[in-house]
Amino acid sequence: MDFLGFIIILVKVLVVFAATMLTVLILIYAERRVSAFMQGRLGPNRVGPKGILQPIADGIKFLMKEEFIPAGVDKPIFILAPAILLIPALMTFAVIPFGSSITILGREIALQVADVNVGILYILALTSIGVYGIVLAGWSSNSKYSLLGGLRSSAQLISYELAMGLAVVSIILLSGSLKLNDIIADQQGYFLSWNVFKQPLAFVIFLVAVYAETNRLPFDLSEAEQELVGGYHTEYSSMKFAMFFMAEYANMITAAALTVTLFFGGWDFPLINETMLGNWGTALSVLAFILKMGFFLFLFIWVRWTFPRFRYDQLMKLGWKVMLPTALFNIFVTAGYLTIKSVV
Amino acid sequence: MAIITKSYEPTFWDRLYFPALIKGLMVTLRYFFKRKVTIQYPDEKYVPPDGYRGLHRLNKYPDGRIRCVACEMCSAACPADCIYIVPGPAPWEGGKERYPVKFDIDLLKCIFCGFCEMACPEEAIELTEIYDFSAYSREDLLIDREGLLEVYELTKNQNYYSRTDKSKKPAT
Amino acid sequence: MPLLKIDDKEIQVESGTTILETAIASGIEIPYYCYHPALEVVGSCRMCLVQVEGMSKLQVSCNTFIGEVHPDRKVNGKYDMVVYTQNELVVKERKNILEFLLLNHPLDCPVCDQAGECYLQDYSFKFGNAHSRFEEEKRVRPNEYLGSQIVINHNRCILCSRCVRFTQEISGTSELFVEARGYNSKIAALEDKPLDNLLAGNVADICPVGALLSTDYIHKNRIWNLEQKPSICQDCSVGCNVDVFSQQDQIFRLTARENQDVNGYFMCDIGRYGFHRFEKIERISHPMVRNGKSFNVLDWDEAIKKTADLIEKSKEKTAGIVSPFHTNESNYLLGLLMKETLGYLPPITGEEITFPTKFRISADRSPNLRGVNDICGDLVKDFTSIIKTRDIRGLYILDDGVDRKLDDSWKDILAKMDFVIVQSYAMTELAKSAHIVLPGLAPFEREGTITNDKGRIQWLRPSLATKGDSKPDWEILMLVRNALHKESEYFADLGEVIKKMGDQFPNYSGISLFKIGTQGMALT
Repeated sequence: MDFLGFIIILVKVLVVFAATMLTVLILIYAERRVSAFMQGRLGPNRVGPKGILQPIADGIKFLMKEEFIPAGVDKPIFILAPAILLIPALMTFAVIPFGSSITILGREIALQVADVNVGILYILALTSIGVYGIVLAGWSSNSKYSLLGGLRSSAQLISYELAMGLAVVSIILLSGSLKLNDIIADQQGYFLSWNVFKQPLAFVIFLVAVYAETNRLPFDLSEAEQELVGGYHTEYSSMKFAMFFMAEYANMITAAALTVTLFFGGWDFPLINETMLGNWGTALSVLAFILKMGFFLFLFIWVRWTFPRFRYDQLMKLGWKVMLPTALFNIFVTAGYLTIKSVV
Repeated sequence: MAIITKSYEPTFWDRLYFPALIKGLMVTLRYFFKRKVTIQYPDEKYVPPDGYRGLHRLNKYPDGRIRCVACEMCSAACPADCIYIVPGPAPWEGGKERYPVKFDIDLLKCIFCGFCEMACPEEAIELTEIYDFSAYSREDLLIDREGLLEVYELTKNQNYYSRTDKSKKPAT
Repeated sequence: MPLLKIDDKEIQVESGTTILETAIASGIEIPYYCYHPALEVVGSCRMCLVQVEGMSKLQVSCNTFIGEVHPDRKVNGKYDMVVYTQNELVVKERKNILEFLLLNHPLDCPVCDQAGECYLQDYSFKFGNAHSRFEEEKRVRPNEYLGSQIVINHNRCILCSRCVRFTQEISGTSELFVEARGYNSKIAALEDKPLDNLLAGNVADICPVGALLSTDYIHKNRIWNLEQKPSICQDCSVGCNVDVFSQQDQIFRLTARENQDVNGYFMCDIGRYGFHRFEKIERISHPMVRNGKSFNVLDWDEAIKKTADLIEKSKEKTAGIVSPFHTNESNYLLGLLMKETLGYLPPITGEEITFPTKFRISADRSPNLRGVNDICGDLVKDFTSIIKTRDIRGLYILDDGVDRKLDDSWKDILAKMDFVIVQSYAMTELAKSAHIVLPGLAPFEREGTITNDKGRIQWLRPSLATKGDSKPDWEILMLVRNALHKESEYFADLGEVIKKMGDQFPNYSGISLFKIGTQGMALT
């Protein structure tokens, strides 16, 4: 790889990282405002115009707080755990294409940090690593609430990762590739070519599983305030707590981006061939990606402030007795369809 | 032995849950666009309805004499025992021969039940609409005769919060 | 004896008593205003109307006498008189009378000091109409001073004439009379003789409504705020029974308490307004020891020890001086403590005043001189000269808080002493010259017995809480005695002191606070 290529990669990494972190800030603000609006309140509107500087104020507050490490914790793991959670959350975004390619100085640059040919596997792998952060945080805290939170989280992730993976398998069967760019290319063009229309059952399973994966309501058993005080992050304070916080939102962003990529044609703007329009087309594709992702982020918040939390047995029942068989059935149908199609 | 009575058996449609979920989402969405009920307190102030029982006041006659005759009906009626009155002969010629030398109300004890204004034979003590009278010390919440008369000056002509003229309201 | 039937109750009474007296004695309520047991009956208020069988009109029960009738004329062949106090006619007539009495009444209970103990209020509530049919202008008259201490509010007056009869019969001064006739009648004082006798304060007490008011109490407080406690007046040796009305340890007024053996229903103005002098005193609230020109505050243990040490060192050359203002128990305990008690501080004297009904104000204005003479045995009257001649090195003075001027002979005595211990509640001149000052209780805080000049022992009960660190006088003396003589007995309460006192003085034996009660008992 030439030097310029290296610079380009570096710039892309920085841009993606900065964009993710900025979105995290926006999400924190949005979460509070949207929840307030849905409850007939106004939410934070004092810091800056309409309160948009609230996340900054929150961040400053977190920085100012005492960095407290309780007695009896496993110190190295206790300190490492938030990072284990946050870093995979940020890394996942590396393989997600957020636009078609851009041409600068005759050089075509793909709007994707790394085009890995096993992109889907990479994402599944990283999300699985993320759960270690939660489990380790819960275990190292030396607190019953944290431990319970961590354990619940790991059980929940195993249950739902399976369904999620199987839902994705049906998409892979359709596109015939693990590469995210190929999946997007497969959905290009006509409106109804989006996977959501081809695989509605897979979409529903995937969406539900994604909520469970990100530990968001109605699946936030691992931090259920009413029963577990704060779950795995009960003993955390200051910036370490903020890192859990950021990881949650980074996970949300990744999940939203993944949903868009797998089921909503990624950066595809329906009925327009972006590649024909040059750089303008690229801008359009980025816009399309952001809008789609924005909707799913909003949905995350919307769902959180609408539904109550599952009971744990209900969660397990749903995961193993409903979603898993349904996903398997979906694969069977898809595979059958493809087999018949290739034979006919 | 527990007897479980099922009020209804969910249909297949119910078991899908998605229609119910979407219905729920619509409820929150509707609220998202509704008018917000928040009153942004120091900037906006809640205007209590007529008959709200807030801070007390001691009424005066138009010529400035205190209406109160220190009969201590209010302190006798008070369930919280928060009114302290020291009566004395009135300093003015004519009119009522008795008036309060001291008239202290311990607002921390007061439960704002309004018995005092009901007991008052002279319509001298009244509860106004003022509700934000917090202070930093216990002493500051011991309102004396002068303080109560000051409250009267603040509220005699207009509503303290909405600044609307009280005299224009239809008599109730 | 005539047999009487009031409502459903059969009562046998002496001939010559009235229906009202009988009813009061047997607990039947008949409302009245003008009747007063100590005053002549006039029957002017008409409130006590009852129906008597066989009489065509309603009768005033206060002036209807009961007598034996001829056996043929007995009602039901049994009763000499049958009286109805609750039937329809009586109830209706009471309503009418009350409406008449209230015609010109201003209904100003909120500013009236009688409110709460007013018979107009009580009877209007119990027997009266809720509304008046009187639509015309009410008669309004300004307040007037009848004397320096009494104000009359004519609007509230119901012309019961209790006050007029009081000045005629009890005080015998006749200042008051009913002026003019009919609608214009009002109570007035003679122009050249205002109501300024020494019993004037009583007219405010006996007024059944809020017409007569004492300037000392007017607009001061409401009656329901005050705590009423029975006590004994301590301004002369008659020992009138009084009620003390106080709020938060401040006395607002004294009123007479009925005791037929001492003061009847009344008290004099000297005692009535006497409590004011305790408002101005410089109160001692902690034990103190002299330090040059000023005093240091001590705690009780130290003070008692220091006192006992001083008395011990003087080797019985200490003399006690008792006081006719203190209770028998305090004086007695000082006698026990000391080898000898020399005498008492000069008593206050005044003019002996007697009123026509034998109500009297004694010349001896200290409450317990008789008790001192009874309890303390051989007292030397002129002890100042004795002290000069005898070898006495210390004095334990039970001071009574009266601010006496110390004359030169006293100053000589005090200068001669090695030490002077003063037990007092007020910073008198005597206390200022003391070496140790022990804080006792003020007159309305004390408990104990006092003996009046007719030899009647009465229970002086505390009306107010003790102030500061001060202790009951008898307890201080007992503690000093215990410190001095280790084997001396410890008295847990006043009763034990009285018992011990009774053992020593035969005419005080068999006395207990319970036996004395509210009315006192005569010494044998």
